[in-house]
This record gives sequence, C-alpha cells and structure tokens, in this order.
Amino acid sequence: MAWTDGQRMTRITVAGFLAWLVPGLGHIYLGQRHRGVILLVVIAATFWGGVALGGATETVDPHKRTAWFMAQVSTGAHALVAWRLGRTAEASASMYSWRAEEVAVVYSGVAGLLNLLVILDVLARASQAAPVRVRGGTPSPTRKRAT
Amino acid sequence: MSVWFPAMLVMSAQITGVQRLLLLIPLCLSISIVYKTTRCERLGDIPLSTIALWATIVAGMVGVGLFMRVAFLLLA
Repeated sequence: MAWTDGQRMTRITVAGFLAWLVPGLGHIYLGQRHRGVILLVVIAATFWGGVALGGATETVDPHKRTAWFMAQVSTGAHALVAWRLGRTAEASASMYSWRAEEVAVVYSGVAGLLNLLVILDVLARASQAAPVRVRGGTPSPTRKRAT
Repeated sequence: MSVWFPAMLVMSAQITGVQRLLLLIPLCLSISIVYKTTRCERLGDIPLSTIALWATIVAGMVGVGLFMRVAFLLLA
C-alpha cells in the first residue's frame, strides 16, 4: 500500500514544520522516537549553551547579527523564546565589560544550521517512508525502522 | 519573563582566550552527534561513529593549528 499524493504532502509538510518548530519533533512524528529525542536534546543543549555563554540579549540579535539570526531562527521555538527573553532583559545584560558573545553566537548559530540538516533529513524520510498498517487497517503516519 | 529564567541565560559569561578555544570541543561533539544521528540507520552505530568523527574533527583542528603555529614561527 502506498501513500496518496495528498497524504504524502501532508506528512512531509507536518514533519518539516514540526522539525523546525522543535528540533527532533519531526523525527518523533515519523515514529523515530529515540532518534528524535537525541536530536532534541543535543540541539537544545547547543543552542541554550550558547545563550548561557553570551546572554540572550547579545546572542540573539536580529539587528546586530542578521546572518547569524537567520541561522538561529532555524531552531524554531528556541530562537523565538531566546529573542523574547533578550528583549525583555535588555537593560540588565549590558553590565559586563567583557563578553563571550562571539562563542555564544557561534554555538546558537551552529545549532540552527544543524537543525537545517535535521529538517532536510526529516523531509527525506517523510517522503520515502511507506505507510505502516496498524490494527483496524488505517495507515499510520509512523515508520518503524532503525530502532 | 526574565524572572522565570536563570540569570545566566540573560547575562554573558566571562571566559578567557584559552577557554574560548576549549569551547570548540563540545561544539564539535554536538555537530558529530547530530550528523551521525541523521546518517546512521541503526541507532547502535551512533556512539562509536560519533566518537570517531569527533576525534577526527578535533585532531584535524589541532593539526591545522599546529601547522599554522609552525608556519608563523618559521615566517616570523
């Protein structure tokens, strides 16, 4: 049994959106829970590790570092939360004379670029996967492989 | 919102030059884990291949750094 074009497009779109919104969630949606949890933890740790080093105000700044911000936004909700946090706490973050923001920006930016890789992987897996029959006969959007 | 978050997420840390270089090591580990998690079909293959890739990247960076250092000393 094969996916219809509509089912396949829906599956690819939902998986890609979830993978952008929360890194790793796209794999979990496809039924690859362990893989998704690994990606979720590692990308979140990389992004928030960077924010912890440089502070949200200086690390996630679309005006000062537009290109890096584009990469950071690839982490979805992480970047949006950090951006909001940075705007809220803008006044208190300027009290240190020496900052670790360069390393911090690289960390959070690389986390975003890694999630681009993850999104591409999710899209590829979603487009290739065959439906799995579950009890009752309706196709499930999950794929059991590589567990 | 900032009340809910630890201060470390708002304010920048103080790190020295050497620590900045050392911070590349966990970053390479993250890159290795994510790359191998997407590439390995069997999850059991991920740990070893991740360590191998991580060691390769770090060794490569150290090698390039040493080469640049020697070149700098010879040309100075």
